[in-house]
Parts: sequence; C-alpha cells; structure tokens
Amino acid sequence: MLQFLIDVLMRACDLALVAIALSAVYSLMKFPNVALVQYATAGALLAILFQRSGVPVWLAIGCGVGLTGLIGVLLNEFIFSRMLKSGSATAMIGSLAVSMIISAVFLLAVGPTATRFALPISRPMRILGARITEWQLWSFGVVAGALLLFALLYFRTDLGRQMRATATNEVLADATGINTRRMKALIVLISGLLAALGGVAIALKGEISIQTGLDLLLPVFAAAILGGLGNPFGAVAGALVIAVAETIVTNTNFGPLLGRAVAFLPAAYATAGSFLLLVATLLWRPRGIFVSEVKRV
Amino acid sequence: MKKLLLAGLVLAGLSVSAHAEGVVIGTILPLSGASATVGEDQRRGIELALDQINASGGVLGKPLTIVTEDSAGRTATALDAAKKLVTVDKVPVVLGEFSSGVTIPVAEYLVQQGRSHINIGSSGLKIRTIGAGQFSVLGLDDVASDFAAQDVYASGARKVAIIVPNNGYGQGMASAFEKKFTALGGTVTSALLYTEGQTSYRRELQQLEAGSPDAYIYSAYGKESATINREGFELGLNDKPWYGLYLTMCISDSEPHYVEGQIGMDLNYIGPNGKGYQDAYKKKFGTDFTSTFNGFAYDGVMLVAAAINKAQSTDPAKINAAIVELGKDYDGVTGPIVLDADGQRSAQPYLHLKVVDGKAVVAP
Repeated sequence: MLQFLIDVLMRACDLALVAIALSAVYSLMKFPNVALVQYATAGALLAILFQRSGVPVWLAIGCGVGLTGLIGVLLNEFIFSRMLKSGSATAMIGSLAVSMIISAVFLLAVGPTATRFALPISRPMRILGARITEWQLWSFGVVAGALLLFALLYFRTDLGRQMRATATNEVLADATGINTRRMKALIVLISGLLAALGGVAIALKGEISIQTGLDLLLPVFAAAILGGLGNPFGAVAGALVIAVAETIVTNTNFGPLLGRAVAFLPAAYATAGSFLLLVATLLWRPRGIFVSEVKRV
Repeated sequence: MKKLLLAGLVLAGLSVSAHAEGVVIGTILPLSGASATVGEDQRRGIELALDQINASGGVLGKPLTIVTEDSAGRTATALDAAKKLVTVDKVPVVLGEFSSGVTIPVAEYLVQQGRSHINIGSSGLKIRTIGAGQFSVLGLDDVASDFAAQDVYASGARKVAIIVPNNGYGQGMASAFEKKFTALGGTVTSALLYTEGQTSYRRELQQLEAGSPDAYIYSAYGKESATINREGFELGLNDKPWYGLYLTMCISDSEPHYVEGQIGMDLNYIGPNGKGYQDAYKKKFGTDFTSTFNGFAYDGVMLVAAAINKAQSTDPAKINAAIVELGKDYDGVTGPIVLDADGQRSAQPYLHLKVVDGKAVVAP
C-alpha cells in the first residue's frame, strides 16, 4: 500500500510543477503555452551539461533552471506576446511550433539518447516494505519546496495579490494601478523556472531525453484542465488525480480475476488513463473538477 | 545539342565514379542511440577487416571502400540509409544493422532491390524467411533461446519472469524461451515486452516483481538496459539472480555496480583461429572487446571481400552465388561459419557468462 502511495507521489511530482506552470501562465496570458513541457527538458538538460563541465550538482541545477527561465522570458517577449495579438489559438499553435524547434535543437545538441546527472549510487531504503532511494527523496523535496515557495508568493505577498488580481480581471487591475505588464513578465519567468525545476526533479530520480517533454504533454495538459485551466493549485490536485489513475491502470494485478497469478495491463496503457480522464472532464466538467463557481462575465 | 548531351553524359559518368578507385560496399550501424556502444564495436570490427583486406591487395586488385551509415537505432533512419546506399553509392552488398527490428526491414528492402544483405548482429527468427540474397554470419534465436532455457533451468531457477524489447527480436526470444523452459518443467510468471526508448521502466519492473519469481530473465539494448539495471537495483530486485540474454549487450552501458554478479549467455565470439584477430583489436583500440559483436562484423566483411574476389564481379547475383559456395565451409575468427540452405549460420556455439568486477567472464 505504501509502495502504491510512493508510486503515485513520484508520478504526481513528475507532472505537478509543469502543470502548475501551465495553469499559472494561462491565468494571466490566456493561452496554454505548449513550449513549457520543453522548458522542463531544457532545464534538466542544461543542468546536466553544467554538471558535466564541472559545476557542483546543486549549483548546476540553479544555473540550468535560471537560464531556462530567462529563455522563457525571451521567447515570450519576442514570439508569444506578438502572436497573442492575433489570438490565443495562434499563440498556442505558435508555442507548439516553438516546442518542436526546441526539440530539434536538443537532438542536435545532445543526440537521441537519454542522459542523467552523475550522482552517487544510492541503495534503496526499505520503509514498511516500500523502497525509496535518497535521490527520489531529494526529487520530492525539490517539488515540495518549489510548490511551497510559489504558494507563499501567490497567497501571502503583495506581489501574489497583484498577480491574482490581474488574473481575475486585467482591465480592473490596470485601473487600480497594478502594472499588469510587469505581472505578466513575472508570471512568465516564474512559470519557466517552475517547469525547469519540474524537469530537474524528473532527472534527479531518473533520466531525461529529448522525448521527455513530448511524453509529458498529454498528462500535464490533462492535469491542468482537470484542475481548471488558470487555477494553479487546482493543477497540482489534477496531477495527483492523473497519477492515481495511471498507477491504478499499471499497478493493479488483474490475475486473481482471470485465474492467473499475474496479469497486468501493459505499462504503455498508463497514458490511456490520463486520456480517459481528460475526455471525461472535457465532457462533464469542461471548466475543471475543482471549479464550482459560474463563469463571471 | 549532341555536344551538350555528350558533355552531360561525361559529367554523369564522373559523378557516378566518385569512388572510382575500386569496389564499394555499404554498412548500416547504430552509431548513435540506445545501441551506440555495440554499434561502435561493430564499426571497429569492420575497420580491422578493411585494413586487413587493403593491406593484402584489396578486392579485384583495387582498394575496397566501405560507406558507413548511422541508423541511430531507428528503422526509418536505417531505411533511408539503405535507400541512399542503393541509389547514390550503388553498392552491391550492405552489412548491418544490430537490432532485429531494424535489420529485418532493411534486409527486405535490399533483397527487393536485388542487392545482397549480410546480417552481422541480429538474431531474430524472421530473418530466416527474408529470401535469397540474405545471409547471416551469426546464429539465430531458436538455438539461442534453447541454450538459455537449459542454462537457466540448470542454475536451479524454476519460476522466472522475462522482460525483453517489444520488437521482432524480443517477441521471438520470449516465446521460444518460454516454450523450452515450460517443456523442461519450469514456469514463466510473466513475459513482458517493453516499449523501447522510455526513460523509465519502473512500472514494468514492478509488474514483473508481483509474480515473485526466482530469477529475472532480461534482454535489452545497451542504454535501455542501463536504465532497467539501475531501476531494478533501486527497487531492490537484484536480491534475486538476473540472467541476461546476450549478456555483453545487456551490460555494455550499465553502471558496473548495478550488474555485478549477473549471469547470462552470449555468442561464442572467438573461434579457434580468432587469437590473431583478438590481438589486432587490442593493439589498434587499446582495450579488450567491448561487446561480442565486433568479430561477426569482421567476418561479414571478410566473407564479402572473399566472395567478390571469387566471383570476379560486383554483380549481386554472382556475389550471392559465391557466398553460397564459400559458406559451405568458411573459417572465420568467430569459428567455422557454415551456412544452411536459407543462408543462415547453422551452428553457433554459446557461452555461459558471469559479471565479475564489472566484466563478463566465462563461468563454468
């Protein structure tokens, strides 16, 4: 049972930071930035490259994440904000195109094989029959820490209040003297940093390849939509729901039902779990399962 | 107008004869991607063969040229490479690749185009039925899986779980192993085909563990295998024996700490006449063999060169006939190569190996 919980948490951690970034950007910019999943890969790959050039691992992570945030701001400044002038659909398609270009850059830069941080080998610890390694715990820590910091910023600071005001009603926020342009630039930076940290968390406990971003695309969108696009912390709950669904799909032994010792669905069917949830949500709760209010006009 | 045409013809003639000096053959190898380590080792075998051939007079009296293409371990890339070799380099013979899932479509394409294909690294059973013009210098999986099943049974394991790649190689190997192992009296708790190119196989490994097997039987390409070995270790699955099918491929990219003590089988890669070759490899590259596959690449190239010299022609049909003739009794560095009626190596000795200090060594 504990192993199940750990598996769920590990999967939720893969998705949570990128999903929250997607939702946060949507809340201010009003377009889902597909390229965010590539920022996750970029953050991790840059950090790995920094580490290879001799930088200590945590500093390398800092540099990789910071650089990715910067790239995110630049891309937004020169590409996405211009596309947004002709509509959010244009910007979304544009971000898809940009993420494909980023993918091609990765292919040239690091090749098609998966890479990982050079970390010391960690033996699994056994806790109540469940196994967990030190680096998996660090990965949890990174995600939990990032979520906590963002929550404090978002709910406890003046800056966070201004962001929320801008998200709720941009015109009104502007009229009350909030610099909405600055808020948007800030949320773009924060989302880039969060997504990059999400990638780093994945790389800390496993591997990252140029395919990782595209593999994240569907579950991350499903998590963000489940939580109500534009509701950042709803996305975290969405990520948990997706993780539970995927883990149930792949970790349930159907053997006893079929009179065999072991019978599992192939692990590749895990994505089917998130697909199914996404379709169901879009059909019955298109504004997300955690949104109860009626749409404000 | 006539002059213009003539000039055009001369130009065309020039461009075709870009490699005018002698015979050109092609190879397709996984120089990048999951099997890059084995691909590089195959390339080394080919390089040694090329050096040897050209030092002793070349082919048809001229130096031999080998055009090497990277498949990146992907079927689509490999097929593009095969098309390029056929249409641009106009080679009569192509050697390669490594993964059966890539080799089979490439060989089918080459045979359709009337060129010869030499399999130097794949063991999928479907290779047998590709047709005339396709040859293998290593034994295929029917023999390998029988050997492995007996070997595992002899090691005392009765309940095993299998994980292999979801492609022609993995499917053939898993079903043949299961058949033989069950016939011996053992049980297979689960046989799982993994999707290639993932960055995590945790879920698959946990599913295998659920059957509480006595031993894990696995086969995976270099870098995927590294992931499987690391995650198996992190899940604590290495408290049970791990048996690698083609062990040197399975451990080529893995952290030695994760694979220490694993047992497995592999091709017997060095024959009675292989000593000189082994020394030449060590001298040129400064290390021991990094996989068992370089010798088969070497033998493949040497066999083709001998066949072209015998045929005194670069016509694929004549080369095929010469290979059939030579294949009745060819002495390679990987041992005697005798090709059966389908052009496949008929007898292939295997080794029982164990990982000691990070290296696969022959175990009794």
